[in-house]
Amino acid sequence: MAGGAYCTGVTPVIEIHDLRKTFRGRRGSRRALDGFDMVVEAGQVHGFLGPNGSGKTTTLRTLLGLVNADAGRMTVLGQPAPAALPAVADRIGAIVESPQFFGNFTGRHTLRLLAMAGGVPAARVDEALELVGLRDRAGERVRAYSLGMKQRLAVASVLLKRPELLILDEPANGLDPAGIREMRELVGRLAADGATVLVSSHILAEIQQICDSVTIISRGRRVTSGPVDEVLARHDKGEFRVRVAEHRRAAGLLSEAGVPVTVHDDHLVVSDIADPAWISQTLGRHGMWVSELTPLTPDLESVFLELTGTTPTAGIPRQVGQSVQPERAEEPGVPAISVWAPPRDEEPA
Amino acid sequence: MINLVRAELIRLVTRRFTLVMVALLLGAFAVTLATTAASTERPTAAELARAEQLAEAERVSAREVRDQCEQAQRPDAPRELRARFQGVDCQAFGPETVRTENFLPGVFSFTGSIRDLVMFLSAFLSLFGFLVGASFVGAELTSGGMTNLLLWRPRRLQVLSAKLGTLLAGVVGLAVAATVLYVGAFWALAEVAGLPGDQSAQLWRELALVCLRGVGLAVVAASIGFAVATAGRHTSTAVGLAAGYAVVWEIGARIVMMIVGTRQPGRWMLSSYLAAWMNGRSDQWDDATGSYTIHWWHAGLLFAVLLGVVVGGAFAQFRRRDLA
Repeated sequence: MAGGAYCTGVTPVIEIHDLRKTFRGRRGSRRALDGFDMVVEAGQVHGFLGPNGSGKTTTLRTLLGLVNADAGRMTVLGQPAPAALPAVADRIGAIVESPQFFGNFTGRHTLRLLAMAGGVPAARVDEALELVGLRDRAGERVRAYSLGMKQRLAVASVLLKRPELLILDEPANGLDPAGIREMRELVGRLAADGATVLVSSHILAEIQQICDSVTIISRGRRVTSGPVDEVLARHDKGEFRVRVAEHRRAAGLLSEAGVPVTVHDDHLVVSDIADPAWISQTLGRHGMWVSELTPLTPDLESVFLELTGTTPTAGIPRQVGQSVQPERAEEPGVPAISVWAPPRDEEPA
Repeated sequence: MINLVRAELIRLVTRRFTLVMVALLLGAFAVTLATTAASTERPTAAELARAEQLAEAERVSAREVRDQCEQAQRPDAPRELRARFQGVDCQAFGPETVRTENFLPGVFSFTGSIRDLVMFLSAFLSLFGFLVGASFVGAELTSGGMTNLLLWRPRRLQVLSAKLGTLLAGVVGLAVAATVLYVGAFWALAEVAGLPGDQSAQLWRELALVCLRGVGLAVVAASIGFAVATAGRHTSTAVGLAAGYAVVWEIGARIVMMIVGTRQPGRWMLSSYLAAWMNGRSDQWDDATGSYTIHWWHAGLLFAVLLGVVVGGAFAQFRRRDLA
């Protein structure tokens, strides 16, 4: 597998290997990408996550030929990027960062010009406006649009081409709750129709719902990647919430049996457990009956915060750029940061 | 490519700034025409005959002065006469320079005024070209429209060339149409309520050349405005550079050159070349070297080099730079 951290045997639509970019200015230089790798497979909805300033937008801009890479190798739809982008541009729809349009044109006029420049039939304009819910506001100047409406217009511009690959940078930015749900459903429909979607977002609950796989970036390097379930499973510590009468005594018993236990006011959290029946049996042997035994599975947000080192600390404001910097992978495509836990197939002693 | 050019053309002609500038052009045109129409009247036969008499008398006088001037150029001419006409072009006193319309105050003469009117139009068209050219690409770069377009057509040079080509085609189209309309309107005014004058083939040839140079100047101005805004990523870069050049160089540097006694300072000023381009030549004078001339082809050469450097540089920079 070239440059990927996981493999399902499906053709990669996007492959990025060892991508490097340093922005140089009068006030010094800033390394935005430092050997970044990513693979997006065909037909997937792939989440691209990272803290502010971690290099997400730079990656997408570089992939789309807007920013020149210092080093690295990229392919899009099987073609080297950015050199062969013109050959595949008709098959790619992209929104990069916040939607930007000329304010004095109406939404419909904006799309018509794009459609004309791209050789797309004009009839497709109204279809795209209908899809994103802008049909009745398409005659207004873009200047009068809210951020959410501009976002919808940006999505409509992407949909004009019926692309095979959608690259959406923060597509839910500025959308109201209903809009976010509509966006989620739209991405789902597009994926169901066979499109591959690369979506960057900070709304991690959304990503967890709609994405098949994710890549997490921090300070220009990949922290982890893979199918969402696998990424979450790697961070499953086998934790269970246990409610039982005399929970402090129960904590002592479980600790003596060799498992880590955290005592809370009215319950315990027991870690490193492969089989929850072991907890019931252990406590039952001492006449203690468990009233609740709930697995504590990690969500994408907690995994993201842990992996990027951006968990908020009360009273200490975190600065942009303060996040984990993974070590460089020794082999191409293999993250050096350890995110993989060995399977727990044995009960604790 | 044709689709791209069509889209750019629609973008150009539907932009508010373009429409405002066209409205200003039409407004200036209308005001000039209206004030001229209001201040002219068709001369009566008696007024015309009297003006012809006065002109003829003036021609006789001019002929005498020219003869004196030509005598003064001979080596055996009296010293007083030589001193009176030293360094003077005797052809300037020719009777052919005396026009009947000069003796008809309050009468608009087509042949007497159209050249100056076309100069004014050319200046406006050049300003139009510069500002619309700068704004056409500057607004796209600022608003992100260029980025959107490049996501659709990731060929930077093709996209920028299509924009520039469309702009120049638009400027040429507007300039030619405006010039024809402008000259035609004043010709009609002279026919109806003024004096058409002696409309010889030579006059029309010279007028056509001035009009052509005016259109050329508008194209150069549009290209420079477009290129500077591309390089600076903003319309204001071009506007600022033009204002800065006018104040710092044309005024400030000219004063400094006069103080330090720079020879032929006019050769360092773009305005001298603009005048030479439009008039065919620009006669300059300074204390150290006396008179010197900048010809239209000097200006043409300078404009060609300037275009090559500025437009070529902007394209080369745009090809490689990172886009926000």
